[in-house]
Amino acid sequence: MKFLLPLLIFASGFGYNPEVPNFRLKNLNNRTVAFNSLKGEQFTVIDFWATWCKPCVKSIPKLVEISDEFEDQGVQFIGISIDGPRNLAKVKPFARSLGMTYPILLDVNSEVMAKLSVRAVPTLLIVNADNEIVYVHEGYKAGEETEIREKILKLLSE
Amino acid sequence: MMYRCSVFAVVLLALSSTQVTAQVYGSNSFEFQLGNLPFEDDRSYSTGYNQTNLYYDSGNISLYGRFEQFITPIEERNYFQLTQKSIQFQDDQFRVRAGNFYETLGRGLLLRSYDIPGSVFEESFERTRYAFFRELEGFAAEYTSDLVEVKALRAQPLFNPLPPNTMPDSLRRPDLVETLQANFYLNDRISAGGILMRNQTIGSDYTNFGALTTDITITDNVQFFGEYAFELEDAFGFESETDAFGLYLGSNFYSGSFGGSLEYKSYNNFRIGSGYNDPPSLIKEHTYPVLNRSTHVLDTGGEYGYQFEVYYNFDDCHALTFNISRAVNNAFLRFEYIEIFLEGLYQLNDQLSVKSFLDYADDELKGEMNRISAGLITDYLFDNGSGIIVDLQFQQFERDEFVQTSGQFEPNTSSNLYSSVSYSFSSDFVVAGVMELSTDPQLTDDPTTFSMVEDETRFWLGTNVLYRANSTNTIELFAGKRRGGPACTSGICYEILDFEGVELRLTTRF
Repeated sequence: MKFLLPLLIFASGFGYNPEVPNFRLKNLNNRTVAFNSLKGEQFTVIDFWATWCKPCVKSIPKLVEISDEFEDQGVQFIGISIDGPRNLAKVKPFARSLGMTYPILLDVNSEVMAKLSVRAVPTLLIVNADNEIVYVHEGYKAGEETEIREKILKLLSE
Repeated sequence: MMYRCSVFAVVLLALSSTQVTAQVYGSNSFEFQLGNLPFEDDRSYSTGYNQTNLYYDSGNISLYGRFEQFITPIEERNYFQLTQKSIQFQDDQFRVRAGNFYETLGRGLLLRSYDIPGSVFEESFERTRYAFFRELEGFAAEYTSDLVEVKALRAQPLFNPLPPNTMPDSLRRPDLVETLQANFYLNDRISAGGILMRNQTIGSDYTNFGALTTDITITDNVQFFGEYAFELEDAFGFESETDAFGLYLGSNFYSGSFGGSLEYKSYNNFRIGSGYNDPPSLIKEHTYPVLNRSTHVLDTGGEYGYQFEVYYNFDDCHALTFNISRAVNNAFLRFEYIEIFLEGLYQLNDQLSVKSFLDYADDELKGEMNRISAGLITDYLFDNGSGIIVDLQFQQFERDEFVQTSGQFEPNTSSNLYSSVSYSFSSDFVVAGVMELSTDPQLTDDPTTFSMVEDETRFWLGTNVLYRANSTNTIELFAGKRRGGPACTSGICYEILDFEGVELRLTTRF
């Protein structure tokens, strides 16, 4: 009985995704930018990552390829690094050396990560034009970029 | 308390139903444990910890509440509290916050707050479990334009080693901080700023601090940044042993697939208040278990050093990383820490990838010398989409240990082994087995037998199951023995207790 509330909340989680608020974070040039100023016309793919995250190193080159493929179709990629002050110096060269040309934001306090209920990296969210989260993908292993790509294609065709 | 929390939730729901654009959303994490610390007599101590985060957004206004609940058979340890609550207004240029919020000034030399989503910390004395975060309680206002960013705040940082059921609650917030920060964007490549801050710890006078910061993009692929923070009475007095200051200089660079960073840090007598400033540490943070536990925790009392890292990402997804770091602790005696790290990622074909690392370190402060660590992680993807990861990590070091038979300290070689095999049926269903061994006398010794030091190899064997039911619900199950020790995430290090038993975690977004 004591654990009834969490079990009810667990049951309530099936099938509901919230909207992404218009959060503001600093970019690699130390400027504060708002999510709505960056988001894509059709969809926005938000990838939470960190320099110390090994699966991220594997997933990012694949995401860069997908970003290039869909950039003309209203799909905007945004990378959110959750590196703390200790690793901030490494974020820009890390991102650039992996070919990330899309916007990178710095969630130094993990504030946006917590607000979007992201608990691990990498986690990828696809957000529609109304800011609703329509897809969540946690973790990465080889081959899963195909699943992400097919999901974007399906969303664009709907 | 239950009544107040219920009212808070009902108000949020009511507000959301009256506004077309409003929404209430959040997350819940519930963790049940049946088991105990390995050396406890009571083998079946059952606890439940629940955390609910509720958000309400409507236009420029946001409300937030975090509820935490801990239930054990021991009534004094139980609590149900609204541990965070805040209201925020935000438009394109202004942001005003009141209640509990997160803020880091500059690079954290003067003030850093953080949240580690999903972390549950167990305090070792009271055995109370709670979320591990450090936020500020008070109010903050900021203004951002193309030319300047200004922040002001007056708040009390959380002293998080004390659990939420600590009485009185004021003990958890012994410091009062008032700050004013301005950062000017001189052009597209140069920004410079300053911070004024004063701190008052319970029972003492105000202490005043200042900081100067800069961020310079020298060329498109070379960046320099610096921060010098100091107690105002000691400004620019690097020479005195009692002067309080923190200095952080760094540069990063990249060219094509090559990138790197060089950092220099120096701290002296720079613990502010109860320690809420959290300057960046001097050495690299690792995610490999054998290295993450062996981390060198920064002593802001007196430490300086550098860190240099370079990496190259090959076109075919191979990657190499080299890091060297050195930290000299001179708070009292002189202790040196040096570490050299090399890591490789190899994508051998579409199905097989391998990671390896080799690390050498000397840690005089902990007395761990010639510490050699190595690891090999193999990741294989089967044709049906399932995959297997085999992870092997080994560590060996020398440390002087007290030998009962001779009554003297003598050199001793200890080793740690970490191994795991995880099989993923799909990205949503993963089963893993983890085994660890250690011959480290600080771990093999049973703390309940004071008269003798056990030296038999100690082992931990556990199983993890992860199942993501859908995009909002995740179930995690652990059974067996789990090794504790220091853990570091995003530069925040804390102690995890050993555990032996069964643990179930349910995570929900709603």
